Amino acid sequence: MKKQGMWTIGMVGLVGALAMLLGACGQSANKSEVDVVHYFSDTLGKTTVTSIFDAFTKKTGIKVVDNTTGHEDFKTQILVMLAADNPPDAFSYWAGARVQFVVDSGRLQPIDDLYKKDNLDTLLPPAIAAGTVYNGHKYLIPFGYHYAALFYNSKTMQKLGITQPPKTWNDFLAMCDKIKAAGVVPLAVGSKNRWPAQFWFDYLLLRTAGPEYRARLMAGQAKYSDPEVVNVMKMWKVLWDKGYFVPNANAYDWTDAADQVANGKAAMTLMGTWITGYWNGNKLQPGTDYDFFPFPQIKDGVPNVALGPIDGWVMSKNAKHAAGALKLLSFLLDKGSQAPWAIGQGALAPNKTVDPSIYNSVMKKASEEVGASEAFNFNYDLATTPPMAEGGLTMFAEFMNNPSKSMNYLTETDKVEQTVFKK
Amino acid sequence: MSRRLWTVAFLSVPLLAYTTIVIVPLFTSFYYSLTDWNGFSAQYHWVGLANFARIASDPLFANAIKNTAIWMAAAIVVPTAAGLALALMLHRGVRGAKFFKSLFYLPICLALAVVGQVWIWIYRPDWGLLDLILRNIGLSNVAIAWLADSTTALGAIILAWSWQQTGLAMVIFLAGLTAVSRELTEAAEIDGASYGQSLRRVVIPLLSPATVVVVALSILNSLKSFDAVYIMTKGGPFHSSDTLAMFMYDVSFESYYMGYGSAISVVLFLIAMVVITFYFRQVRALEHLHE
Repeated sequence: MKKQGMWTIGMVGLVGALAMLLGACGQSANKSEVDVVHYFSDTLGKTTVTSIFDAFTKKTGIKVVDNTTGHEDFKTQILVMLAADNPPDAFSYWAGARVQFVVDSGRLQPIDDLYKKDNLDTLLPPAIAAGTVYNGHKYLIPFGYHYAALFYNSKTMQKLGITQPPKTWNDFLAMCDKIKAAGVVPLAVGSKNRWPAQFWFDYLLLRTAGPEYRARLMAGQAKYSDPEVVNVMKMWKVLWDKGYFVPNANAYDWTDAADQVANGKAAMTLMGTWITGYWNGNKLQPGTDYDFFPFPQIKDGVPNVALGPIDGWVMSKNAKHAAGALKLLSFLLDKGSQAPWAIGQGALAPNKTVDPSIYNSVMKKASEEVGASEAFNFNYDLATTPPMAEGGLTMFAEFMNNPSKSMNYLTETDKVEQTVFKK
Repeated sequence: MSRRLWTVAFLSVPLLAYTTIVIVPLFTSFYYSLTDWNGFSAQYHWVGLANFARIASDPLFANAIKNTAIWMAAAIVVPTAAGLALALMLHRGVRGAKFFKSLFYLPICLALAVVGQVWIWIYRPDWGLLDLILRNIGLSNVAIAWLADSTTALGAIILAWSWQQTGLAMVIFLAGLTAVSRELTEAAEIDGASYGQSLRRVVIPLLSPATVVVVALSILNSLKSFDAVYIMTKGGPFHSSDTLAMFMYDVSFESYYMGYGSAISVVLFLIAMVVITFYFRQVRALEHLHE
C-alpha cells in the first residue's frame, strides 16, 4: 500500500512539474497581445495607464499584458528581462542619458518608420522632439513631461505679504530673508533618496554657466572642479549658511518636503510638476493652496532653459509582437491618450495638439513657461550617464548634509568622472 | 523499486533545482566577473582580472569591507551576548517564561525588510519612538536623525538587525542549556562556586556547540544583510552604511557595472567560504569531543 502511494505521488508530481514547464514555454507569439512593463506604479498612475491600455484594446482588439511590479524594482526588472533576452515588447523609460545607455547597449528598436508613417513629428514641439532622437534615429515616444520650479504654499505667501515672484537672484534672497524673519523656513528639500537635491545644482548651473557648459559637463568633457561648478556650490552654500533650508534634509523624502510646505512649516520646495499630482491627491487646490514661480534668472544674457524629465515609451529589439507594439506606441502619442495621462499624473502633454483647457491653472502656467523657454534640458540624473549620475547624486546629498566640505566632494566626483568616461 | 533508486529519484528534483538556482548562477557570476558587462548590453568584452584590480584600488570597496567587518564584529558579540543573557534568565523557569520566549522569538518570524521598515519609523527624528523617548527624558540633544547621519546610520541598522537576531540566538542557547545537566551546576554550587564562576567554568564551556552555531549563523546572516540596508538607507548617507552586499547591488544595478559587481560577489563568496569552512571544522571537532 505504502509503495503504491509513493508511486502515485511521484507520478503526479512529475506530471505537474512537466505541465508547468510546458505552460511557461507555451508563451508563444500570440498575435493579439503586447507585453509591456512600466514604472507608473503609484495608484493614480497605474489606474490611468491601465484605462489607456483598455482604450487601446477597445480600438484595436490587441490585449495589453502589463507585467509591472513597482517603481523602485522597475530598473532591476528591465535589466534582468533584457539580459535574459526576454524583453517586454514595449516599456516606459526616461528620455535622455538613460535611453542613450540602452540604445548604446543595442537593446532598442529604432522607430523612424513609425514616425514617418503616422506623421508623428508634426505633433511635437521642437524642444521635445529633440529628446526622441539618439544616434541619429528615433527611438522614443514621449508620453508626458514635467517642469521643475519653485512650488510654494499660496496661503503662506499671502500671509507674509509676498505677491511678486522674484525676478533676480537678489530678489530671491531678499524674499527668503523676509520668509525666515516671519518664522517660516523658506526652502524644504527631501533628499533622502538623493535625487530631489539635483534640481538646485541643475538650475544654479544652468542660470550661471549656461546650457552649453552644462551639456559638456554632462558628457564628461568638463570637470567638476571647474570654477563654474565651484561657483555653483558657493552659491548653494550661501542658502545653507543663511538657514534657508529645513534642517536634516536627508532624513526626509520628497513627499515629506511637500508635506512641510503644505502644512506651512516651509514656504517653498524646488520640485517637478508631479508634486501637483501628490498635492491634488491630498485635496489641495491648485492656485488657492499652491502655485509656483520659475527659478529666477541669475546672470544676464544666459538663455532661459526649462528643466525636467520626459517620460517616454520605447520598443525592444526583437520584440515578439512588433506590429502590435508599434500600434501601441503610436496610440500613446495620440492626444486621446496624452490628455487623460497629463491630468492623471499632474504631467504636461508632449502632444501639442492637446487642448490646453484640460490643465488646471497651475499646469497651464507650467505649460506656458516651457513654451516660452529657449530650450528644455533633462535634470541631472537623466542628463548624464547612469554611473556618473550615481556619483553626482551622492555629492548633492553629501552637500545637503554638510556643505563645508564641498571642495572634497568635487574632487571625489572628479575621480568618479574619470572612471566613468575613460572608456 | 530498490530503496537506493527511490533515494536518487527523490533527491534529483531538489538537486536539480539547487543546481539551476544556486550553482549555475554562481559560476555565471564568476564568468561575468572577468568581463566588462554592463548588465544591459548583448556585447561585452573579456577584461581578465581588471575588475579585481579595481577592487584593490577602490576606496568605496574598502569602505564597504570596513563596514561589513564592523557588522560582523557586532554580529559576533551583540546577539550572542543578549541571546545568552535572555536564555539564562528564561531557562530557569521563571513565571511566564513560555510567554517571554515566544515574545523574544517573534521578530525572527518577520521578514528583515519588515524589521527594517518598522525601525525606520522608530528612528524618525520628527515622530519616531526613539527620539520621542529621548526628548521626554531630557536628552533632546541626542535625539538626532539616526538614519540620515553618516556617523550613526550603520550602527542604527546593526541595532535593528541585532534586535531580530537575538531571538534566534536565545532559542539556540535555550536548546543548548537543556543539554547542560543540572547535576553539574549543582555540583559546582556545592563546591562553593559563585554564580559567575559556575557560568564561566561550567555552563559556557558546555554551551560551546550552541555558541559555535549562534556565532556562525550571526556572521553568515550579517554577510547576507542586504534587505535591512536597502530598506533603511540604501547604503547611505554617502556610503556610510554600505556593506559588501549593498555595495555589490549598487554597483551592478545603479551604476550598471555588472562585471565589477560580479567580481565583488566573488569576494563576498570567498569570505563566506572561509567562515563556513571554519564553522564546519569547529562542528566536526566538537562532534569528536562528544564521541
